[in-house]
Amino acid sequence: MWLKIIGSIIIIFTSTYIGFSLASRYAERPHQIRQLISCLSALKSLINYVAVPLPEALSQCTCGLVGPVTDFFHKTSILLHNGRLTPQAAMDQALKDSKQLVFTQAEREILTSFSATLGSMDREEQHKSLELIHEQLFRIQKDAEIRCEQNVKMYRYLGVCSGLAIVIILL
Amino acid sequence: MGIDVLFKIAGVGILISVFHTALKQAGKEDMAHLCTLAGFALVLLWVVQLLGQLFNTVQDVFKLF
Repeated sequence: MWLKIIGSIIIIFTSTYIGFSLASRYAERPHQIRQLISCLSALKSLINYVAVPLPEALSQCTCGLVGPVTDFFHKTSILLHNGRLTPQAAMDQALKDSKQLVFTQAEREILTSFSATLGSMDREEQHKSLELIHEQLFRIQKDAEIRCEQNVKMYRYLGVCSGLAIVIILL
Repeated sequence: MGIDVLFKIAGVGILISVFHTALKQAGKEDMAHLCTLAGFALVLLWVVQLLGQLFNTVQDVFKLF
């Protein structure tokens, strides 16, 4: 009897945890996209007006922010500093290494296409590509916020309820 | 066979209704209907077993074979 009760409690806790962790992924995504947008706008002004070298610009543009996005920019900056990598290769590598980023394929593609222009074109072209990427990211951010509203509650409910359902079926 | 199977069915019913509401609010009507269908199939599985028992009992009582 006690074994059954303890097992049921473990099942309910596990499924609740899974539900909440899935929900937190959806809740985290708009936040990270917002951070990415603010970092990129800082990078834009650093490229256009301050004209610092790219590794320094990448580490300076995260000023005042904390989280996985900051780590991603710092990693890119360190990779550019240390290794003999192109900006594109460094950003790809940092994107692969940053496991805490919850970006989907769309954001990853945008970042990859952005890194192709980074450091290889002149200032005006980089400015243009950054503006284009801003627009795309704004659109993605709105979409992510709508999805967040819809899915966070659903995953929480589903987590708790699926645990209860499994317990009832097995009991 | 006891009263507990009734409570089980009631519990599944309540949970399926919560599932349905949550999925419908998230705009996944198709998944909500699928979920309801799965709950219905599960309960039907239990009920069919009980019905089989009932028929066997009836056969035993009236010596129908």
